[in-house]
Amino acid sequence: MDRRLALIACFVFGLLMFAQYFSRHPLARSVNLAILEYWQIIFAFTLLVGVASFFRNSLSAMRNRGERPYRMVGLAGLIAMPVLAIIWGIRADTPFMWMFENVQAPMQSTVFALLAFFVASASYRGFRARSLQAAILLGAAAIILLSRSQLGGAFSDVVTPVADWIRNYPSMSARRAILIGIGLGSLTTSLRVILGIERTWLGGKQ
Amino acid sequence: MSLIQTFIPIVQLTWFDPERLPVFVASVVAIAIVLFTTYSRSSRERFKIRKIAGMDAVEDAIGRATEMARPVLFTPGWGGDIQRPTTIASMNFLSHIASKTGSYDCQLLYPTHDPVIMTVAQEVIKEAYARAGYADRYQENNVSYVSSSQFGYAAAVDGMLTRTKPASVFLLGTFEAESLILAETGNSIGAIQIAGTDSTIQLSFFIVACDYTLIGEELFAASGYLSKDPSILASVRAQDLLKLLIGLFLIVAVLAATIGNLTDINTGDWWLF
Amino acid sequence: MKRIESRHWIFIGLFLLIAAVMLLGVELNINPSSETQKMYDYIENLPPGSTLMISFDHEASSLPEIRPVALAILRHAFSKGHKLVGLALFAEGTVIGYRLMDRVATEYGLEYGRDYAYLGFKPQYIAAILSMGESIQETFPEDYLGRSIDEIPLMNGIYNYDQIGGVISIADGSLTTHWMEYGAARYNVDILAGVTAAMVTTYDPYLASNQMQALVGGLRGAAEYERLTGRRGGGSRGMLAQTTSHLYVLLLILLGNIAFIRSRRKGNN
Repeated sequence: MDRRLALIACFVFGLLMFAQYFSRHPLARSVNLAILEYWQIIFAFTLLVGVASFFRNSLSAMRNRGERPYRMVGLAGLIAMPVLAIIWGIRADTPFMWMFENVQAPMQSTVFALLAFFVASASYRGFRARSLQAAILLGAAAIILLSRSQLGGAFSDVVTPVADWIRNYPSMSARRAILIGIGLGSLTTSLRVILGIERTWLGGKQ
Repeated sequence: MSLIQTFIPIVQLTWFDPERLPVFVASVVAIAIVLFTTYSRSSRERFKIRKIAGMDAVEDAIGRATEMARPVLFTPGWGGDIQRPTTIASMNFLSHIASKTGSYDCQLLYPTHDPVIMTVAQEVIKEAYARAGYADRYQENNVSYVSSSQFGYAAAVDGMLTRTKPASVFLLGTFEAESLILAETGNSIGAIQIAGTDSTIQLSFFIVACDYTLIGEELFAASGYLSKDPSILASVRAQDLLKLLIGLFLIVAVLAATIGNLTDINTGDWWLF
Repeated sequence: MKRIESRHWIFIGLFLLIAAVMLLGVELNINPSSETQKMYDYIENLPPGSTLMISFDHEASSLPEIRPVALAILRHAFSKGHKLVGLALFAEGTVIGYRLMDRVATEYGLEYGRDYAYLGFKPQYIAAILSMGESIQETFPEDYLGRSIDEIPLMNGIYNYDQIGGVISIADGSLTTHWMEYGAARYNVDILAGVTAAMVTTYDPYLASNQMQALVGGLRGAAEYERLTGRRGGGSRGMLAQTTSHLYVLLLILLGNIAFIRSRRKGNN
């Protein structure tokens, strides 16, 4: 019964959101606004589920000695930030902001910066001229890379237009084809969900 | 005169916004095609799906992990949420993989950035294990929410990869900048990696760093192929029919625009809606 | 101790190279690309006093790359006398966005509430974008500082996107796509973007079809914008490091291919 109720709710709200898109009537606009508000409220509450799960998983994983230090750091962060925010607030020059700017931001930037290192190692390992197609791909990548650098002079005058051509024609047409395919895939999946044919999001097929 | 301007005088209803008429017509055509392919018996019977590289490797990847007594790690990426069709397609994949890992008694780890995805994944895996006849092997803690922050999630999954050293990694869903970080780490631990995403920019990273990559809509098609669900396979056929229509529309529009530009014939700009 | 693998040497090489180049402090001359020029022209050609919305759709991780982009755009917009309404669709971008706006507004002696306002963060970005298309007041009843939105003079007469000149999304991911899919496609608002370099090609199709009006991409885009506004900043400073790292990657690709060809020849022999 609970699944049937979910399917009915999905169908009704799916149809409602689809229909209101085509209307400028004040009632349609206010229905749209109300649903969007509820969407935001529901989203905020789902975070609680995540926090509870993180807490439970971390405590259970701490039984494993190897996992313990990582989980302790994770839990410390999870507890410390809200506590600091509740006591001193989140405006400038509060301990919360100090933690955000001096701990969280640098740590996240570090992980983001890893990308540059991984690009370097992946380029070394993966970009090989194994075939004619791979060699063409390699040449195109080299031209794009050079165009995004600034070597200056006549070199840039030649490389930049070639790179722009690669981006604007072969690369873009392939990208558009993929985007159209994805769009259609999204459309059919959404329809299946609204019509109740697709039920994986409920956890299964029954 | 554009398509909208032609129809505005005809459709002057209070409840209906005439500017949205082209979208409405396109939607009705798309819905009709999807419904026809899904419910028409003849359409379903005459339809076969081509093999997509990577789908056969799914079985091998799980077998490998079982033989090596190492876990399988599946993550849907940071970019999606449960309403995103890619996430739903990846759930079909997850269901198939979970039923295999359940049968082989192989540990399946599923870290995610979204509490709702976590809850749905728990249900999908639990049901897949039950379907395989091994409900007792399901462990809820293996499906975990790690962080909503992009690089917090990347760091957590990276740490999980290096500590648990899974033999097979499935990166299927919507990925953003974390894609290469995860794929390169998976590569460095020697895992067999099967990836698939609708993020066009991340595809290039996956192609370099993973063993198999499902490109864009292949992810939707592959999820139908694996699940053998006739309704999903039917929607793949609907996608092909719609693609054909779009292709025809593009050819006619390009021809009309070219003729209009090169000659004195007024072909209009009806395609600009 | 674990053996150092070839990829570790690659990492060490990149780190040393970038560190050395950053210490040099050399600034390169950059020629503006057409995408960056479009952003400049868009802001330049808006009537003074136009209202622009600037959305900080990024996390703290991309700050070193995204800050020069945001600063260059903010400085240009404020210098032209435009009114800016800021907001964030990622929680982490909230305080970053506020500080950047506040900093640049102070540079130009502008007043909060009259010349600029900051609405703060709204969760669930798709719902937030759609909801502002209906009513900004209903979506953000209060600003970031806790003031009722009705008490902010700048917000008088601004109800939805119809009163906004354009939305500039400062993003490190694909959130700008949602601005186009929901903001532009549904409510016809102009979308412009300042994004990290890795995201630039994602938006090529949207730029070509005019679904996106302009794009400033990564450090290079920031450097180009700084050149156009005549005020050097983080973009210009970082370009030498970026150019050097690109050349390093090219060198690695070359070395990888030499090693590959040699191993293939050995295999043939």
